[in-house]
Amino acid sequence: MLLTLSWLVPLVGALLLLLVGNADGRRDGMIRWLALGVSLIAFAVTLGVWAAFDPASAEFQFVERHSWIPQFGIDYFVGIDGISLLLVVLTGFLTPIALLSSWGSIERKVKEFSIFILALEAAMVGVFISLDLFLFYVFWDAMLIPMYFLIGIWGYDRRVYAAIKFMLYTMAGSVLMLVAILGMAYLHSAATGSYTFDLLKLYSLDIAPQTQMWFFLAFTLAFAIKVPLFPFHTWLPDAHVQAPTAGSVILAGVLLKMGTYGLLRFSFPLFPEAAAYFAPWLALLAVIGIIYGALVAMVQPDMKKLVAYSSVSHLGFVVLGICAMNTQGMQGAVYQMLAHGVSTGGLFLMVGMLSDRRHTRLIAEFGGLKTVMPQFTAAFLIMTLASIGLPGLNGFVGEFLIMLGAFRWAPAFAVAAGLGVILSAVYMLWMFQRVFYGPVTHEANETLTDLQPREWAGVLPLCAMALVMGVFPTIFLKPMEASVDALVLRMQATQTVQVEIPVDRRPDDERRLTTVTERVARR
Amino acid sequence: MMDTPFNAVVPMLCVVFAALAVMMAEAFRGRDEQMALGGLGIVGLVGAAVSSMLLWNRNASSFGVIVADNFGLFVTMTLVIVGVLTIMFSSVVVRRDGLPAGEYYALVLFAVVGMIMMATANDLLVIFIALEILSLAVYVLTGIRRDDPRATEAAFKYFLLGAFSSAFFLYGIAFTYGVSGSTRLDRIGAFLAAQSMSDSPLILVAIGMLLVGFAFKISAVPFHMWTPDAYEGAPAVVTGFMSTGVKAAAFAAFTRVFLSAFEPFSVDWAPMIWILAVATMILGTVVGVAQTNVKRMLAYSSIAHGGYLLVGLIAANDVGKAAILFYLLAYAVTNVAAFGVIALLGTRDAANDELRDFSGLWHGRPALAALMTVCLLSLGGLPPTAGFIGKWYIFSAAVSAGYYGLAIIGVLTSVVSVFFYLRVVVMMYMEERDPGLAAPAHVGGVGMVALVASIVVIFYLGVLPTRVLDLAAESISTIF
Amino acid sequence: MIPLSHYLIVSAILFGIGTTGVLVRRNLITILLSIEIMLNAVNLTFIAFGRQLGSVDGQIIVFFVMTVAAAEAAVGLAIVIGLFRHRESLNPDAFASLKW
Repeated sequence: MLLTLSWLVPLVGALLLLLVGNADGRRDGMIRWLALGVSLIAFAVTLGVWAAFDPASAEFQFVERHSWIPQFGIDYFVGIDGISLLLVVLTGFLTPIALLSSWGSIERKVKEFSIFILALEAAMVGVFISLDLFLFYVFWDAMLIPMYFLIGIWGYDRRVYAAIKFMLYTMAGSVLMLVAILGMAYLHSAATGSYTFDLLKLYSLDIAPQTQMWFFLAFTLAFAIKVPLFPFHTWLPDAHVQAPTAGSVILAGVLLKMGTYGLLRFSFPLFPEAAAYFAPWLALLAVIGIIYGALVAMVQPDMKKLVAYSSVSHLGFVVLGICAMNTQGMQGAVYQMLAHGVSTGGLFLMVGMLSDRRHTRLIAEFGGLKTVMPQFTAAFLIMTLASIGLPGLNGFVGEFLIMLGAFRWAPAFAVAAGLGVILSAVYMLWMFQRVFYGPVTHEANETLTDLQPREWAGVLPLCAMALVMGVFPTIFLKPMEASVDALVLRMQATQTVQVEIPVDRRPDDERRLTTVTERVARR
Repeated sequence: MMDTPFNAVVPMLCVVFAALAVMMAEAFRGRDEQMALGGLGIVGLVGAAVSSMLLWNRNASSFGVIVADNFGLFVTMTLVIVGVLTIMFSSVVVRRDGLPAGEYYALVLFAVVGMIMMATANDLLVIFIALEILSLAVYVLTGIRRDDPRATEAAFKYFLLGAFSSAFFLYGIAFTYGVSGSTRLDRIGAFLAAQSMSDSPLILVAIGMLLVGFAFKISAVPFHMWTPDAYEGAPAVVTGFMSTGVKAAAFAAFTRVFLSAFEPFSVDWAPMIWILAVATMILGTVVGVAQTNVKRMLAYSSIAHGGYLLVGLIAANDVGKAAILFYLLAYAVTNVAAFGVIALLGTRDAANDELRDFSGLWHGRPALAALMTVCLLSLGGLPPTAGFIGKWYIFSAAVSAGYYGLAIIGVLTSVVSVFFYLRVVVMMYMEERDPGLAAPAHVGGVGMVALVASIVVIFYLGVLPTRVLDLAAESISTIF
Repeated sequence: MIPLSHYLIVSAILFGIGTTGVLVRRNLITILLSIEIMLNAVNLTFIAFGRQLGSVDGQIIVFFVMTVAAAEAAVGLAIVIGLFRHRESLNPDAFASLKW
């Protein structure tokens, strides 16, 4: 019941807001507080789920199953394991922050804005908790609609173009996944006589390798566009740059993770043989993405675009970790998803604040802000360093684990990805230097106000989270451990059959896992 | 209920009597007397709905040529819904545009009679007569605004190609009759099954001719040329009616003829329909992208939807047949509502159906914009709407019959179609109102009730489709 | 006794003439007449088949078709008159306010 509440609360909140009469924006203030209240309740629910979660079990927990469309074996079937748990909590965590960020920047149609954000949260949580492929697809597609409106109505100049591009790109990928989903249901019916979209039953479905390849490609294309993996990333800079701050925070913080989550939950475990076959190619694209994203970020004159391209680079790490298909890689991937959600969400939030003040995001328009807004600079520095992956902050743990995993699997990829880490330091610090150091070059910048208490309310939790995730990674690694372990086992079991890797790899793996976690924990 | 030979025609008779009553009422009406003629029609349609429910699962048959099996009754119910919604939208339009109420409602009702007849006919000749009943009524409805040259022109084009295609259809019937000695579908089916694969060229000619006739009626590419013109020129509410009712009736007959009588020859016709389906899906969406008139755009969209329905026909398995029924219902409700919005936005002097007429609609009429958005999202097949379940059902039929290629083309074209549906949404939500335009018309009363009701149905079918899926599955179990 | 095929060929030729007429003639009335020719070609086919099969069904069907054709002609001519009032022309090329 708790899990259902976690997506129902925001949805019901959105529907309630729909009923609030708000002619000419008279009740804007009340609506803002109501929406924030609803999102905080939803966050509390997700925290409740975490509190009751049993980290020792790799099974799906809080499982709920109700028959929905019995003719096709479609159930309302939800549940979470250690991987999805943290993403659900992340969603709950970022939504109130996104809503808070809109208080200063969204002036018109506040009611509709809040409704769309809450509806979006409901759909995002739904994506992470669905264990029925049909249900998953419904949430996956339903999520597009509020995001489309958020970008298209409250975005910047080229918002309409960006909104449509976002929608069509994502749909083009996901409809092919739909065909693959139907294909799997059909194969299940051919094998057992009944349709099912139940993920757990489909996990054990025996699919011929040739078919696996096609299905894997269909699923992975949908997720690769969402991640976005090079070369499917072109929608991302547009969407990010044009979206309102709240939209960018959620887009970077949660939406992109749906792609990598999809790889972890669906593409890889459903089609292990195809995954083993395609993993090096995916990893290659990921590494190209890491370096390409970093290089392009370096030359961006627009801060928001720079952060957007840095996302391409960071998400490349996640995909690389997944492709390594060992414990470190996968754990690192999940950790990096969370870390990226926090740090990039924070960066977008603060760039949005600058843009609200100056109505420009061009790096050249700033300079010397350190003297004008010291508190802002401090917070921005934390986020910048977190994004670079400085030890002691959240970005480090994920990247470290991913590199470790990648090195064990294919050292060449790890080396190339290492280059990406260095580049990320270059472009982030360079931007920081140009924006905050030096003399104040523009008059308009001299009178900028520093962080307001309301803005601190959004920034502080993010900074705190970046520190906590960097210093106490076990808090977050512990719950995912069992699930990741089970996933790796499943992947390697198939690989062992395929590539005839010695079976005795498994205990070795477990030993290394514990040592890594301990090592990271000790830090 | 007693079993008499007349049972199966009862739903049709209810509507016939309502239509006659409307005509009589109009004849005896005083000069300026107001009469609720539309209400009279709705009473008749409700009667048809009730009698259809009573006939459910009874497999009634009248004289062997009209069969009220569940398949026919399901389509009848769909048609009744289309008819009721059309009359509700019309009540606003008829008064606003000063249309002749008696003739208008009588024609709508006679068209519904023809549609119901077509959906329940079990004889090729009866299908032909039903086709003519509904077509003649719809030709006139298309041109009902005699002061509008575009409407008259649309009526003529529709008439011309309609009559032309009827001749082909009839020629096909003639050959079928010549080969099998009967026009009854069950006898034709039995005859063909008995001597299947004795490749008589005559039967192939017959199949080809019937296919052309049906393809015209469901506006499958390349027999779609009349559709955009007729849909654009006709009053919006009539366009909504004919784009759903005519299509539903024609598809019911199409399915019945090809999946019962000509089933033994499916090897021959399936590839033909495959080509039709692919061409229809692709052309409907691609050309739709280029349109600037919303009615014309929705005309191309309805062509594309015909293509998706054809996919269900090709799959030809139980899933496919039930999917056709469900899709018809979902599409009918959505499309009638979408055209209803366009109709309600028009005024007597201006159709207000260009894309820019929708600009900034959100600011002036938020409820109307939201309802239109739901309709468009449903047409585009996004969850959680009826259109999504419909598409999903159709494509699962294609996949389970092994037609992966069709399914992939189908889903990709549906993405393209989302692009042009979104253009309307962009106009409504993301553009400011064109200052040269008058404020959008105020909509209230019956029209709004009909719209809200359609939206409720769209969401009901999208979120809790189980009951209707069951009905659709039951419907196909009684025949074929 | 004239064999069936002769009737069929004649009616096919008639049908072809009608079809061609609809497609190439540039006068609305002639086009309507061409459609009538097509329907009558079909009627001939029905009668020929009916005779061949030894049943009266074919001839009965023809009565239905004739009735339908009459109704169709009535509606068609009414629409043509409506068009003529607007345009003062019977050439289909004159009607291009909608893209053809």
